[in-house]
Amino acid sequence: MSRAGPATRAVLRGAFTDAAARRSAFWTQIGAMIANDLAWVAFWVIFFQEVSSVRGWDVDRVLLLLAVLCTSAGLVLGLLSNSRRIPTLVADGSLDEVLTLPVAPLPHLLVRRLDTVNLGDVAFGLVLFAVTAQPSPQRTLVYVAGTLASAVLLTGFLVLTGSLVFFTGRSESGDLGLNAVLLLASYPADVFAGATKVLLYTAIPAAFVSGVPSELVDDFDVGDAALLLGVAGLFAALGWATFTAGLRRYSSGSAWGRG
Amino acid sequence: MTAPMLRRLGVPADVSGRRLLASRDGLVVSVLFYLIVSGVLSALWRAAAGEHGEVAGYTALALTWYVFTAEAATCAINVRLIEEVGDEIGSGAVAVEMLRPLPVVAVRLAAEVGRCTARLAVLLGPGATYAWLVAGPPPHAAAAVLALPSLVLAVTANLCLQHALAGSAFWLRDTRAMWFLYQKLVFLLGGMLLPLEVLPGVLRDVAMALPFMAMSYAPARLASGHLEPWLLLVQAGWVVVLAALAGAVFAAGQRRLQVVGG
Repeated sequence: MSRAGPATRAVLRGAFTDAAARRSAFWTQIGAMIANDLAWVAFWVIFFQEVSSVRGWDVDRVLLLLAVLCTSAGLVLGLLSNSRRIPTLVADGSLDEVLTLPVAPLPHLLVRRLDTVNLGDVAFGLVLFAVTAQPSPQRTLVYVAGTLASAVLLTGFLVLTGSLVFFTGRSESGDLGLNAVLLLASYPADVFAGATKVLLYTAIPAAFVSGVPSELVDDFDVGDAALLLGVAGLFAALGWATFTAGLRRYSSGSAWGRG
Repeated sequence: MTAPMLRRLGVPADVSGRRLLASRDGLVVSVLFYLIVSGVLSALWRAAAGEHGEVAGYTALALTWYVFTAEAATCAINVRLIEEVGDEIGSGAVAVEMLRPLPVVAVRLAAEVGRCTARLAVLLGPGATYAWLVAGPPPHAAAAVLALPSLVLAVTANLCLQHALAGSAFWLRDTRAMWFLYQKLVFLLGGMLLPLEVLPGVLRDVAMALPFMAMSYAPARLASGHLEPWLLLVQAGWVVVLAALAGAVFAAGQRRLQVVGG
């Protein structure tokens, strides 16, 4: 484990060099993602021009939520892009080569691939926060800490749902988990009621990915901050444990091992 | 287009539709994703209409049916189709299809229409049930019936324009970023995320004049209780224009395609 840190950093450096080598594709993809995010901003601005507020949420609060989500999801899907691909890596045997290396498999796997398109999200989230969220030193600090906690939580959740493939043999849970958590995190949790709202704070922790961190920026509360950190730590541990338990059951999915 | 040609195009449509229906796991994911997307967006609009009575003339019930129908028209389609078709053109793989005795774009469109209408048929049952349970029955039965052919026209218009844009790969080689932007145009100007009546003045007029309104807004407007049959005529007009555009782009592109190697 002592060599895991430097090895992981070296792999991450390699992934960055690879992405930066294809410069025009790099900037085209980042531009496309920023345009995508601008469309969401346009949606929310138009929506709140029509209805002014919904269950206490107005355009400023929702744009702050969007800034947290873009930054957090961009970090996870951009820098740790394999967190969404565990089912595919297991199914096509790509996991085999990682298991032969003298490093912890999960960190190595997570940083091995960079998705530049999602780095556009990170840039957009930072700019959106700077432009619309009236940043002060305290608000900025809470935003950065909340976003990082959200990124840890999201990574843990994606690894957890992706690792279910070890037990079920089906890859759909990973895709569905990713789409569901990102979609639900795009909206204020207060819009929902009953069982759906309970779901957002438990099995699909979308409220902790965006809503809770953005509320902390507006109105910091030690109890809520501790809860966010606790939930982030819990999902990170669950993700790690599920992946590790899954590896014990894993037998090669590569073409060599089949048949 | 002659009757024998239409009959022959029915074959790829039928085969791709059956193939889609045979992939049960993929369908389950499609249905769950559609229900989650529609459930979330309709909850937002219901919350807004609940607090303000109605939004842009739509009640909570109308907005629920609007959202479920608009989402069905878009979820039935592969969102990355432009990228996939563009990649096949850029790599030269499309050259093999030019050996067939039918236009490349016609066969591709027929296959996609078959696949997407099959997926649409699967989505509609669970979607209508969900909308009915959370909000109530469709606001206007006759308008809801008209929404069914309108959905097929919406999917067809969308596929035609996606193929026309993907055909630009004959010149540009790379259309990967295009699907992202196209999707957002359908979301906003097509009325998938919001009824076009919500858009501010000039933008609403522009959106109503563009083809994207035929891809989501038209069937959703009908399903939300507005008996406006002229929407079907507008959609049919756009299908003719967009199919001709896709045909022209592919015909011009195929003439300049050069594939090296095998």
